[in-house]
Amino acid sequence: MMVKIIRLTLLAGKQLVRHRTRTLLTLLGVSCGMFLFTTVRAMQSTLDSATRIGAADTTLVVYRENRFCPETSRLPEYYADEMRGLPGVREVIPVKITVNNCGASLDVVVFRGVPPQTLLRYAPDIVLLDGSYETWQQTDDGALIGRLFAEKRGLRVGDAFEGAGVRVIVCGIIESPHAQDNQVAYVHLPFLQLASKRGLGIVTQFNVRVDAIEQLESVASAIDERFRHEADPTYTQPEKAFFAQAAGEMIDLVSFTRWIGYASVLAVLGLIGNAIMLIVRGRVRENAILQTLGYPPVAILYLVLSEGAWLGAAGGGIGVGLVALFLNWRKPTFGNEGQIVALLPDAPTLVIGLALALALGLLASLWPALVASQKPIVESLRS
Amino acid sequence: MTTSHDYPLIRCKGLTKHYRKGRQTVTPLSALDLDVPRGEFLALMGPSGSGKTTLLNLIAGIDRPSEGILEFDRHEIGGLSRGRLARWRAAHVGYIFQLYHLIPVLTAFENVEIPLLLSGLSRRERRERVENALALVGLADRMHHVPSELSGGQEQRVAIARALVTDPPLLVADEPTGDLDRESAASVLALLQQFSAEFGKTIVMVTHDPRCADAAERTLHLEKGKLLEAEEAL
Repeated sequence: MMVKIIRLTLLAGKQLVRHRTRTLLTLLGVSCGMFLFTTVRAMQSTLDSATRIGAADTTLVVYRENRFCPETSRLPEYYADEMRGLPGVREVIPVKITVNNCGASLDVVVFRGVPPQTLLRYAPDIVLLDGSYETWQQTDDGALIGRLFAEKRGLRVGDAFEGAGVRVIVCGIIESPHAQDNQVAYVHLPFLQLASKRGLGIVTQFNVRVDAIEQLESVASAIDERFRHEADPTYTQPEKAFFAQAAGEMIDLVSFTRWIGYASVLAVLGLIGNAIMLIVRGRVRENAILQTLGYPPVAILYLVLSEGAWLGAAGGGIGVGLVALFLNWRKPTFGNEGQIVALLPDAPTLVIGLALALALGLLASLWPALVASQKPIVESLRS
Repeated sequence: MTTSHDYPLIRCKGLTKHYRKGRQTVTPLSALDLDVPRGEFLALMGPSGSGKTTLLNLIAGIDRPSEGILEFDRHEIGGLSRGRLARWRAAHVGYIFQLYHLIPVLTAFENVEIPLLLSGLSRRERRERVENALALVGLADRMHHVPSELSGGQEQRVAIARALVTDPPLLVADEPTGDLDRESAASVLALLQQFSAEFGKTIVMVTHDPRCADAAERTLHLEKGKLLEAEEAL
């Protein structure tokens, strides 16, 4: 049985390959549709993983109340000492963030200034790919830059670059499982405070690590309560919730793109359906001949379904493959309020794209396949 | 006592076919009785609309009778389901069309191989069978040509190889020389005669052409869905 199915699948593939122009045009449309769908899906998936709080997320972000941009959130650095005294607080890291553009943008340069000795606690998952951590610690204007940022700008260790009015020397290139870390430049906090002309003693935010995830809420409340009557009150929330809020406009925009994804799916469905319908119409007599030669209706059904599946799988494969190539080549990022997301397709997104394309091929060819398999032979031979 | 060998390969009793055309019921074949012995080369002649192609289609199992009995090798085939009838055709019938009906994008080899794809034969066995069938019709050197690269006579010979490749006991041919020049027609008829005489194939052929019918052992005439007696036909 399996052997016969394979032979019929190959026969269907042969028919498509030898009707080259028609097949290529259909594949062009299908792959464009699946390219669009997979790109949108990659954006959704990237945002989803950036905003979903997991069990290991025990970090709070303390921001200036009613401020959303790193340029306007200014908090006194000495708040850190007071926070360290609150119950449940394990560590407090003051962070200064400088960006070239606070609004939604596809090309964001982000500098994160942290006390040099705290970097590995602030971002414990980073791995040094090139350069030296020690050199960075000893170089006031040194920067450790994310891999994607380095690749996108063609930067190597020893190079100097300037962004947002800050000029730094690349001391190392880092990689992290967290997308944001791969897109930023880590610099010394005092250096960034001076370079951005806000002065020493002012930071953008504090990253507060708590002992357990259950304490996130109580510690956040305690921090905000502590500074409620200060000149610079705070607003504290979990890191990913902070991201979701700060990048709210971007998330709304990306959420809207799901409709483009749905439209692409419908377009692919219609395209394959139309192609298969034309194939079946043009092959009424051929199918009757196959039946005359002993092919049962179910074999005709399977042949037509196979052609739809081939078109879906091949078009999907091309579209999804192009997405993977394109996103890895261009490494696009999008950001808002200093929060950036790297648009990288993950394996589940690619698999979903491929599986969906195959399913669309089968679905689109189901009705034409049923019609083709049920048509009486004699009537078809006369057509 | 009738032995299995004496019993006709095809037996039609009261074979009738109706179909609806708009509001009318058309009866192209009416209460027809016919026996076709094993190994016979039979020609069916008659004017257009006489029911000869309908009879051929019933015998080939691509259509089903409305009434009557249609036996093949003592087995009633008129009542088989579409799926069973397809499997029966695959095993017992080779069909030769007037317009060859080869699949244009496939080579001669691939066209002939089509009926074998649903068999349990291995690739090597299929290749052997296809090459033998094409050699038998004299096209061993054309097996990798697509139909558009072949002449009409060659296309019909590929179609004959395709009908023969499963080694069916029955070959049915609907005007097999109707679209061929005289020389090609003669070569096709010679092949059919060879298959009947040498391989014992039972052949039922529909034709308009009396010269073509001369190649058969027996010729029957149909008119208005009924078989004519010999003297009527004359």
